[in-house]
Parts: sequence; C-alpha cells; structure tokens
Amino acid sequence: MITCDEFMADLGNYLEGDVAVEVRRQLEHHLSHCQICQVVYDSTLKTVKIVTDSGSFDLPDAAAGPIKDKIMARIRKKSVS
Amino acid sequence: MAGFGLEWIQMSYLAEVDLGSSFRPFGALQNLFGFVPNLFRAQTLLPRIIEAEAGLAAAVLGKDRALPRSQKELMALVVAAAYGDTYCFTQQHQTLCSLGVADHQLDQIVRDHHEAGLSRPDTVLLDYALKLAMAAPWLSGKDINLLRDHGFTDESILEAIVVTGLTDFFCTLSRGLDPPHDFQPRPIPGSSKAPQADLRSYAGGTAGPYLPTVELSPERFPPFALFLERFGLIPKLFRAQTLRPDLIEAEADAVRKVLGPVDILSHVQKECIFLVGSAANLNTYCVAAHCEMLRTMGVSMEESDQIAVDHHHAELSEADKSLLDFALKLTARSSEFDREDIELLRRHGFSEKHILEAVAATALNNFFNTLQMGLGTTPDYDTKHVFGPKEAHLSSAVDRPRERAQLDPDAELVGRVQNGDLDTFEELVARHSRRVYRTLMAIIGNVEAAQDAMQDTFLKAFQHIGEFQGRSKFSTWLVTIANNTGVQRLRERRHIESLDDVPSKADAEFRPRQIRAWAEDPEQLCSQAERRELVERELMKLPVKYRVVLALRDIEQLSGQETAEALGLGIAAMKARLLRARLMLREALAPHFVSSAKRTGP
Ligand SMILES: [Zn+2]
Repeated sequence: MITCDEFMADLGNYLEGDVAVEVRRQLEHHLSHCQICQVVYDSTLKTVKIVTDSGSFDLPDAAAGPIKDKIMARIRKKSVS
Repeated sequence: MAGFGLEWIQMSYLAEVDLGSSFRPFGALQNLFGFVPNLFRAQTLLPRIIEAEAGLAAAVLGKDRALPRSQKELMALVVAAAYGDTYCFTQQHQTLCSLGVADHQLDQIVRDHHEAGLSRPDTVLLDYALKLAMAAPWLSGKDINLLRDHGFTDESILEAIVVTGLTDFFCTLSRGLDPPHDFQPRPIPGSSKAPQADLRSYAGGTAGPYLPTVELSPERFPPFALFLERFGLIPKLFRAQTLRPDLIEAEADAVRKVLGPVDILSHVQKECIFLVGSAANLNTYCVAAHCEMLRTMGVSMEESDQIAVDHHHAELSEADKSLLDFALKLTARSSEFDREDIELLRRHGFSEKHILEAVAATALNNFFNTLQMGLGTTPDYDTKHVFGPKEAHLSSAVDRPRERAQLDPDAELVGRVQNGDLDTFEELVARHSRRVYRTLMAIIGNVEAAQDAMQDTFLKAFQHIGEFQGRSKFSTWLVTIANNTGVQRLRERRHIESLDDVPSKADAEFRPRQIRAWAEDPEQLCSQAERRELVERELMKLPVKYRVVLALRDIEQLSGQETAEALGLGIAAMKARLLRARLMLREALAPHFVSSAKRTGP
C-alpha cells in the first residue's frame, strides 16, 4: 500500500492520464482506502472542470472584429511602407 | 520554435570555439559552398566531426562524375523542403541560384516538380529522391528500374542515393544544432501539398541489392581492412558501393571519426543511439548490425532487442534512457525537437561535447539508414525483427515534418501567408484571436493592456511567419508568442514577478490544506457568471507562472505536450507546475464548493 505522499507525488501524472497500469492500480487502491486523498483528488478534478467551463477571460464578441481590423490595418500599413 | 525568444537573437544550441583560419576542413567547405556554413561552425567543439562531414560532402557533392552538381543540389533542395528544414532549404536554394537557376523556377519545383517544366529524367530523379527520403521502406527494385529506363547509369543511381542520404544527414544536424541562418531564411513554398500517398506505393518486385559491384580486396583497399578489424566482416552496405571506392573511403573515415573515439560518449552509448535510430527508421539491416555490435561489447541479444523495441523498459541508467529519448526524437519526431531537448540532456549531466556527439551520431545513423534503404542490401547477421511496410502502417515512426504539417489545420493558410498572401492572415487572426486574448488576459489581467498586447502578438507573428517551420502547430507557436509578449508587458508594468523556468522544489511540495469533501455537483452552487468572476479573481491572485499554465492547459485545453512547448518547458516540469497550480486554485475555490456551502453564491 502506498503512502499519501506517494499518492500526491503521482497525482499530477494520474490527472493527466499518464501512469503505467501497475501504478494506476496502486493509486486507485489507495484512493479506495484513504478519505483525505479521495477528497483532494475529487475536488481537484472538479476544480479543473469549473475552470474549463467558466468561460474565463473570454473576448467579448463586440471587441473581436474591431481589434482584428486594427491588426490588419497596421500590417497593411507596414507592408506598404 | 527554434530561435524564437524574447530577444529574437538567434544562436545555435551549443557553444562554439574558434578553430582559426588554417583549419583545413573549413577550406574544403569554402571550396564546396563558397563559404563556411554555420551548420559546421556550430560543431567546432569536436573538430574531428567537422573533418568527417567535410570529407563526405566533398566526396558526394564535390566531384562531377555521374550526376552534375546542379542535379544533386536540386535533389537536396526538394528533400530539405520535404523535411521542412528551412536552414538546409535556404542554403541549397542559394547554391542553386549561384549555379544560375532562377528563383521562380526553384519555387515551382518545390511546389510541384511535375509541373515545373523539368525534363522527364529530372522529374523521375526527384520522385526517387523524395521516396527514398520520405517513404524508404516502400522502395523496391522497380523504383531503380524506372531510373534505369530513363537513362540513369548505376553510378548515377548510387550518387542519387548518397546525395539523399547526405541531405538527411545535414537536415538532422540542422534540427539538432539549430545553427544561425547564413542567409535571409526562405520560406518553403507550398509545403502543405505533399504527395505522400503516391510515395507510399509498394511496387513489390525484386529484392536488393539493386546495384552491381566490383571486387575490392582488403589488402589493397584500406577501408575494407578497417571494417574487417572493426566488425569482423565487410558489411554488405559498403560492398554495395564498390562502383565508387572514393565514397566508401569517405564513409569509413566518418565511421572512424564519429564512432571510433571513446573520449566523450562510450562505444555502447553510440551503438545504442544507432540502434534506436535504425529501429525508428524501420531499418531491419541496420538494427541487426547494431545488435551484433552490441553483442560483441557484452550486451545480450535480448537486451539489445529490448532497446530496439522500447528502450524505456531496458536495463539502462536514467541518463542513458534520456540520451536515447533524445536520439529517437531527433530521428523520428524531429519536428518537435527543440532547445528543451538539449536542456534535458544537460540536466542529466551530459556536457556540450556529449550532446554534439549524440547529434552527430544520430545524423550519421540517418545517413547510413537512407543509404541502406536505397541500396537494398540484405542483412549481414540474423534478424530478430523484420521492419517493413506492414509495420510502417502501424507505426508512427516515420512521422516526418511534412506529415505533421498536414495535421495542423492552419498549415494551408500559413503556407499562403508565407508565400506573400497578406489577406489570408486575417483569417488566421479571426481563428485565433480568442485563444490569444485569453492567454494574455491570464497573464496581464487587464482588458486594455491585453487587447493592446494582442495586437503586438499578431504583428510579431506576421513579421516572423517566415521562420515558422511547422515544428509545432501554428496555434502553439502563436500562444508561445502571446506568452512571451504578455510576460514582457507584465514585467514592464510591474517590475516585480520573476518567472524562473527551473522547476522549483516548491512545485512538488505543495500540501493540500482544505480536506472537506466538495458538493456532488459544485457547479450548481452558483451561476455561470458568478463562477467566471470567481475563477478570474482567484486565478489573478496566483503567481503568473501558475496562472499561465492553467490558462493554457485547462482554459485553452492545449495538450500537455503543446502546453510544455508553448512555455518552453519539459513535460515533467510542466506537469509539476500544472499540478501545483491546480492544487492552489483548489484551495482558493474550496470554501465556495464544499458540500455544506450555502447556495448564496460566492
Ligand atoms: Zn492518502
């Protein structure tokens, strides 16, 4: 049985789906026995989902067109001169 | 992404020393090219390697025996273009211009040599070079017969094979060393239209060896004596080239100078580099040869077989595994190769000279692999694995740059802009403006400043689009520029935060404090607008390096590999930073989402 520290050490790879089968088995075994790591794992997954779904920092539709026009105007001006 | 940093200063990956003007190989290169290309100056740490390369180049390109120089350079040009190697492409382009070929004709040849007004034999020759370079496992005797039908002699076919091999050699060096350009880099025209499907046709027919040979005795031909001493036999790969003893001499010299000395990498390390490279190139002949070499050095057949199939599960030190990762990437996924791969070896304790020798050995292996595929020699030793077209279909090992470029949904548009179509850039801006803006907002956190930096990002991308070579996806390249631009802006605005790229111990040692369980469906606890505001606010409280990695991986949803590339980090360092960032944000969000949290919103 691996320790909580060992679990945390592999958590990054586990979340990224990048662990060997044998390691995955050990991690999942630990999760089924350890309440604390279970909470950390579950809430980290939920954090990722909340961040992904949040629409954070999205460019307002109204702003996209004018900025694109400014960029193209600057490029055309440069390539003419 | 090579040569693309905040300061735009281009330097090769490795240190250089001054060998003085009397260094003879430089004279030979000067004669051959009219100057000493930076590709060779980038290798001054190991003069013996430059000697070997200059000797090979002079033997292959310098003599007008069967094929004229311009025909050889034309082959090299289309092959370098197919590999997506701007450095070698630019150099060959320059050489051909100095031989009197017109610019526009060269562009047309690269775009589609079938429609460039070339003679039929020239067209067939370029078809052959491309197939040997890009789809060698599909070659057969029929491809050679087609050349013969168009008037090519056996000696000129041998030259065509060796020229293609030499181009692979130099392109690998250029990928591994990233030398500064000798000339204004030329965008490769129309590289999105690749005749991949035609190349991968296996005509079947006669097995090799394809070319006739003459008898050379080891007593009178020193290179064969060297092979006998070194390998216990004269490999068929060299016997197959006896029409041109001078080529064999130059190749034997390269073997002696690159593989002989053990002052830097050991014999076993170099043989392992050749072995994994040959396996990646699906070269049955060379895999068998290097397994045999390793056996004579005390490595069992089982062990070397394991190294060929998957070196990660072989009994090697972590440093040696990283060395083989390096060689494998440079061989099979060179489009993804960059400075970070060099850094990785440095971190494993390899010196500049070690790294240079590893690059040279990988490049020399590609040279011999190409020669062998072209000559079609049967193995000198028993083979445990037969690599061939059937396996190639299942394997990504022949993932050369041009194939990758086709996977990039922006490749076609980028190609058009590179060819001077300015209006198409507008489409690229439209496609990517949201992604660039979000990245910049995550770094800068201020709407006006981010919109301003967004303009700069696209302007820089436009100015440097000629340097984009498809080593990464265009979107990743763009995010890299956005990241650099954003961080630069932030520094100007605040003068405080530093972004050390060394993976700090702290990344790994973060301990979670909030350990109450979260609600089953936390997103129900507050509205979308509230969640967005909360995430933006808490993200901006994190140090910039953490919010950037979260923005790229979890908001942009780039792959792990792309995130690492865009940040100029290794995969492991990126993952450590990402986990730390996710855990920090988790702490900040926890009070709002634990199961007992009231539905009152944050
Ligand atoms: Zn635990």
